Amino acid sequence: MSQARVRALQNGINIGLRFCITKRVIRITELVEMHIPDGLMDPVIALTGWIEFLVVAAVALFLVRTRVKDKDLPRIAVLSAGVFVAQMLNFPIGGGTTGHLVGGALMAIMVGPVVAILGMTVILLIQGLMFGDGGMTAFGLNAVNMAVIAPLTGWGVYTLIKPIVSRKDEKPFGPGTAIAVAAGAWASVFLAAAACAAELVVSYAISGGTYGIAATVSVPAMLGYHTVIAVGEAIITAGVLAYVWSISPGVFAREPVATTKAEGLRGILHLKTTQATIAVLIAFALALPLYFIYSAEGADGLEKTMSDAEVEEGGAVFSSPFSYGENYFAALFAGILGFVVTALAALGLLRILQGVKAAD
Amino acid sequence: MIVAHVRGHRVMAEGLDEHAKSSWLSGLDARAKLIGILAFVVATSLLTETRLVLASLAFSVAFAALSQVPPGHLARAYLSALPFILIASVSVFLFAGYERGLDMWARTSSCVLALLVLASGTETFELFAGLRRLRMPAIITTLLMLTYKYILMMSEELSRMTVARKARGFAGGRSLLDRRGIKVISYTAGMVFVRSAERADRAFDALTARGFDKDMRGWRRSKIAAPELSFVAWFVTVSVILMLLQLGVSP
Amino acid sequence: MRVLEIENLGFSYEDGTVALKGLSLVLDEGEKVAVIGPNGAGKSTLLHLIAGFRMPFTGEVRVHGKRLDPRSAGAVRRDVGLLFQDPDDQLFMPTVEEDVAFGPVNLKLDDVEGRVAKAMRSAGVDEMAKRRPHRLSHGTKKRVAIAGILAMDPKVLLLDEPTSGLDPRSRAELISLLKGTKRTMLMATHDLDAVAEVADRVLILNISPVAEGRLGDIAGRGSVLEDAGLEPPQLTKVFKALEDKGFEVDRLPTTMDQAVAHLVRLLERQRRGE
Repeated sequence: MSQARVRALQNGINIGLRFCITKRVIRITELVEMHIPDGLMDPVIALTGWIEFLVVAAVALFLVRTRVKDKDLPRIAVLSAGVFVAQMLNFPIGGGTTGHLVGGALMAIMVGPVVAILGMTVILLIQGLMFGDGGMTAFGLNAVNMAVIAPLTGWGVYTLIKPIVSRKDEKPFGPGTAIAVAAGAWASVFLAAAACAAELVVSYAISGGTYGIAATVSVPAMLGYHTVIAVGEAIITAGVLAYVWSISPGVFAREPVATTKAEGLRGILHLKTTQATIAVLIAFALALPLYFIYSAEGADGLEKTMSDAEVEEGGAVFSSPFSYGENYFAALFAGILGFVVTALAALGLLRILQGVKAAD
Repeated sequence: MIVAHVRGHRVMAEGLDEHAKSSWLSGLDARAKLIGILAFVVATSLLTETRLVLASLAFSVAFAALSQVPPGHLARAYLSALPFILIASVSVFLFAGYERGLDMWARTSSCVLALLVLASGTETFELFAGLRRLRMPAIITTLLMLTYKYILMMSEELSRMTVARKARGFAGGRSLLDRRGIKVISYTAGMVFVRSAERADRAFDALTARGFDKDMRGWRRSKIAAPELSFVAWFVTVSVILMLLQLGVSP
Repeated sequence: MRVLEIENLGFSYEDGTVALKGLSLVLDEGEKVAVIGPNGAGKSTLLHLIAGFRMPFTGEVRVHGKRLDPRSAGAVRRDVGLLFQDPDDQLFMPTVEEDVAFGPVNLKLDDVEGRVAKAMRSAGVDEMAKRRPHRLSHGTKKRVAIAGILAMDPKVLLLDEPTSGLDPRSRAELISLLKGTKRTMLMATHDLDAVAEVADRVLILNISPVAEGRLGDIAGRGSVLEDAGLEPPQLTKVFKALEDKGFEVDRLPTTMDQAVAHLVRLLERQRRGE
């Protein structure tokens, strides 16, 4: 295809998209949803998602057995219902764009990460089986993104940051706590979207363009959009928690502070900080298989696509920015992730060591 | 009544259960439907050969047509899923060619359609009971049931509060930057929450008062008869054929 | 057989407020007792407590001989049919039929279908078997809820404000339903006109028991009812006013029939007196 035609096509798509969004024919929310339908992801990735999810779910169910009593069930269900209803509402962020809530951080901060995993899973099941929002084969991935990574990250970041920023707070929900909540909520959406984008990118790479979405589209669209939406999540999560914790604190009991000072390794494991650090690390660890799969098969997939692009007649419209785009975004992605993981893990480690030192 | 803004479009959930009452599909045991459609969706997501993908889509459409689910309803639900599907398909088309783009669109559409028919053609509690009978852990199915009930409750509360609010002239909350508007909205949200929590406790007590023991096993008489078996047979056969053909095509 | 025995019952909320104090009550089989009192008197709390939802409490509660404590709460609940004040809290399943069957199925009773049919007929909702509960009118919902607990065949019905929110027709239908049934019943309400028609005796409760006996007798005892924040039935008020004006009224009527009979007597006396 000639350059002029390519440009014309690009412009056409641009204009069409802009029209649809500003005239509310569709909203960006619908374009870059995180609920993945079936048939989009490479089957290997989808399977990885399922395996990861089942492992996490099994652990969560095991842990929940001792923590959740019968009378807690209605409260958990109400919280899930609330997040479900909240997820349905589109909130405007000005300029004709809208965003939506994920709610993983909200749940996790309110009832703890383990229960939040179950609650978010229930929400996804209802959305998938009752509304067709999110596929069956893709359920594992959706659950990993929104029901595991989001709550774990939200809770982890909140727990790690809170003691630092809210030292001067007097009220139960002061500005320091608000910052911690906001940071947790933002991180939860950012990481979930990053994971989703990663899954799309890797699917695309290893399948040679049959599944997934190319990095040059998926990273800016999925990750970029959700980075902005995450701000909305931060504001709303902080707002709801401010209300529930300061005005009606009896509704949801806050996490009980560990009263028993157990010894040695168990003692360290019981510390909230440790658990939070572990939570964050798990969230990142879930992305590892993706990286391995990518590096194992990705290169071949890329080459295959490139040769296909040259061979097919009138097929591919873009072919040259291709390989540069892939590697660039992948590298950028990995870099940011690596930096953040290291920072958080270091923070957590420092605090644990401080705690151990103080106990001596 | 749930008016779900599934990705921005309205899908009436209560309406779903109305439709569900009247067709052959809704009469089937939920387990058969879940298994059959799962097989189909797994098979379809493995397809990469264009003719097979289109065959799968044709089967899906035929299933939708035979299911007696109102087509308008399906169309609306499909439309709300379409934008994301299009983004994926168009980007695949731009980067890897026309055929791949078509494959992506047909494959995802086929799966989404089958799933929508399942959702519209099955009554909600029947669906959850089916999941339980398929050995999904009791705590999850109980939470599913309670959450569903409370979603209905909350939507009601929310619309009541919204109406009451509007009756007092509140028109804010258009943008996240409208501070007072956002405060009112988040307080409304908080109130709906707190009130629903109290009602939720009462509703749960009412269930316990009638002997509910946090497991919904045995609620519906399960039946595995000819219709169920033939449904599963059909779907599994089609799925296996598609998969075998796919394997035959690509090495 | 004593269906319900309560001895010196006391209960306080978590924050310390006393909800019930020094309450004793006995119900024999077939008796219909109304617990009346102002809002906040603890009537609802009492019913929920008997159903095993409020613990710990001081004193003793025995349902059909079984002592109520945390371990036996589940078993006690099988013998007790608690009707919640808001039927929306109670109605759960997608159709009326299934909701009425909910109790028997959970309690694993035999002949579920027969029980359900019978209960629906008693409550007059058999025609709505396949309808969706949340679409029904408030009064009908209440009847469906009642059918639901009747189907469980409880030893005693605990009714929390059964007539609240009902339009006059539904209220009349409900009252005749309650009058017609032979079941033992404890009713918490402040609808004294309904109490007059249905209950054999009343207990005035304002955290602690204030008085117990027949409604007519209590209404005649000075201002016991008014002091407890209650209004006597309209008819009773009329006759009380007559009494204050010097007319002879031997037993204050509380129901329409009693009032008419009384009036007839008074008028006949007058006619003879002329």
